[in-house]
Amino acid sequence: MTSRILVVDDDTALAEMIGIVLRTEGFETAFCADGAKAVDAWRTERPDLVLLDLMLPGIDGIEVCTRIRQESGIPIIMLTARTDTADVVKGLESGADDYIVKPFNPKELVARIRTRLRPATQSASDSLRIGDLTVDVAAHEVRRGEDPIALTPLEFELLVALASKPQQVFSREMLLEQVWGYHYKADTRLVNVHVQRLRAKVELDPDNPKIVTTVRGVGYRAGAVV
Amino acid sequence: MTSTGATETPPRSVNGRAKSRAFGGWREWRGWPDDLTRLWRRSLRFRIVLVTLGLTAAAVLVACVWMALVIQNDLFVSRKEQVLGDARRATSAAQETLDNAAVQTGDSVQLQTLMNSVLAILVQQSSTDMIAAARIDRTAPQAPQDFTIGGFDKALISDGMRVAVRSSAEPQWWQSVALPAEDGGTMPGILVGQQLVLPDVGAYELYFAYDLGSAAGTLGFIQFTLWVVGIGLVLLIGGIAWFVLRSVTTPISEAAQTSERLAAGQLTVRIPVRGEDELATLGRSFNAMADSIESQIKELAELSLVQQRFVSDVSHELRTPLTTIRLAADMINDQRDEFDPATARAAELLNAQVQRFETLLTDLLEISRYDAGSVQLELEPTSLAHLAEDVIASMHQLAEQHDTDVRLVAPGGYTPVDMDPRRIRRIVRNLLGNAIEHGERRPIVVTVDSNQQAVALGVRDFGLGMNAGDAEHVFDRFWRADPSRTRTIGGTGLGLSIALGDARLHGGELTVWSEPGHGSHFVLTLPRSGGRLTSPSPIRLEPVEEQSDEFTRTQPIEIRTDAATPRGAS
Repeated sequence: MTSRILVVDDDTALAEMIGIVLRTEGFETAFCADGAKAVDAWRTERPDLVLLDLMLPGIDGIEVCTRIRQESGIPIIMLTARTDTADVVKGLESGADDYIVKPFNPKELVARIRTRLRPATQSASDSLRIGDLTVDVAAHEVRRGEDPIALTPLEFELLVALASKPQQVFSREMLLEQVWGYHYKADTRLVNVHVQRLRAKVELDPDNPKIVTTVRGVGYRAGAVV
Repeated sequence: MTSTGATETPPRSVNGRAKSRAFGGWREWRGWPDDLTRLWRRSLRFRIVLVTLGLTAAAVLVACVWMALVIQNDLFVSRKEQVLGDARRATSAAQETLDNAAVQTGDSVQLQTLMNSVLAILVQQSSTDMIAAARIDRTAPQAPQDFTIGGFDKALISDGMRVAVRSSAEPQWWQSVALPAEDGGTMPGILVGQQLVLPDVGAYELYFAYDLGSAAGTLGFIQFTLWVVGIGLVLLIGGIAWFVLRSVTTPISEAAQTSERLAAGQLTVRIPVRGEDELATLGRSFNAMADSIESQIKELAELSLVQQRFVSDVSHELRTPLTTIRLAADMINDQRDEFDPATARAAELLNAQVQRFETLLTDLLEISRYDAGSVQLELEPTSLAHLAEDVIASMHQLAEQHDTDVRLVAPGGYTPVDMDPRRIRRIVRNLLGNAIEHGERRPIVVTVDSNQQAVALGVRDFGLGMNAGDAEHVFDRFWRADPSRTRTIGGTGLGLSIALGDARLHGGELTVWSEPGHGSHFVLTLPRSGGRLTSPSPIRLEPVEEQSDEFTRTQPIEIRTDAATPRGAS
């Protein structure tokens, strides 16, 4: 089944070029050039992934990202011309799964998209325990007792990665490779921001995390099963 | 005179107060001379008050001494007149009695009685009881004896006085004498002498001694009061000067403090202006200056902001079309096998130059960010030794292409230190890339070491090296050591400028040593605590003699090529 990708970018030449690249790689594409219409376009097009430019006329990319995130955990990859720290972090905090800095090459773009679209990690067991949570890998579901917790696929994958090896301390680089598919040094802020987002959803007290614990100077590990 | 001591006292006591106030504690008396010198130099108020006190004290001293002398003189003169009158009155009363007495000639008893009554009159009429009489003509046998009463000591009468009194009958003579006091000492007195004529017998010298004790007492009291008032006046004037000066120096020091705060960056501070006097003028002109500075700095800040926004906009505007070009070039390049050779080469060139353009743009934007001061460090505790290891591993392939052996020597630098790992990694990659490019296939030694204040990384190559002039320019933008040399690793000429900028952002330093034929040594030093570098770098910039020896002793260290392999805890 071909995946459908919504490209939200006001630069028509770039959007068209991205479209050419993606279609060559066998994706279906849809376009939107206006931030204000992006959320509607997402609703009507029902894509499998959104490529979102950070700077858009109308509503900016961060706002679009926030609005989509309120309704769905669909993978969102930001395109940004700005490497300024604040912008990238703001974008990630608004819910983007990953980001690509312009200018990028087509292989990089396709690799990032494929990583986000790949089927969820196959775990050895169907059900995992982490802290006081139960993770049903097959059903893509996390529950605290009977209450389900809604996570985006990326957050779910992050949680599964940690829960499947409860003894292992994951460095940020390891998580970048396992969850984001980076095989080289990438921006560890990706991990930091998403761990914060994950904690905000799963921890009872995000300031005193019990599910995803920090190992100072090394990385993160799964909290002890309660 | 005690007055000298008394007038010197006020400045001394004022000094003492100033000292104890300014440098609390009497124990530090050894430091007083220094403290006073410093106070004299630094405090306008202290200096002026001290000068005022000194001058006032001198003026008051002169006035007091003059007044004391005048009063003393006046008191003496009036007392003398009084005494002379008193003596004259008593003598004339006695003389009248003598003239009216009818005494038979030669009756010594009667004469003696007369003399006694005259004595009584003298004592009664004069205000002193120290009286003496002596015969001048000792030839008359019946004359009464000389007498003295009231403990009159004839030794008081000088010879000159006696001669003067004896010489003529009429005038009074006086003389200052020291009279014996009751307590054994002496007190000032006046001796008055004149003649008294006894009928038939002849003339007697008659002396009255008056003590000036009461006048001296009055004088002493007046002088004492004068000094007290003088000292009080000096102190009062000192105090007044102190308070008056406060109204001048307080606004001045206020102005000084305000300008200090302004200089420290608080652009909104102003001096409160009161009234229309000179100090208010000072305040107003200062405030006007501050307004002008503030507006200019704001303007500059806005300019800088505009520039930053411009850079950011250019970044976005350039990058978007560049992305399109990049995607297109890549796609065309991927299909170059299907083109004829010329077009294929063109596609290849297009692709390579687009990449170069991209690198250049990235570097330029980075540099402009330093210029705009808009770079923020993402500090993270990072082990410099491990970072170096990672970078060497990631550049393994490049090193192999150049047939170069890269060795890591890391005696220290394992403890994580706060740094922005992305930037430090970029520096190390840059240094290592340069070393590989210019290393002439000779081994490259990367050293990591640390001391208490800093961590450092050195990249040493044994290639061509540069002369001192070239080494100076190595961090300049777009500078190239040898323009004719072909570049195998695509550099923009901005790499070392960026590396230096990154090092400085960390409060660190990037230095170079190079010598033609002996290679180069770049040393990056970063402070441990995010502060400034205070001590020399843990790594020596200049190579030690017999460098080649050391480097043969260095054992090659195995470099893990898989950067993602988790490291053991360090």
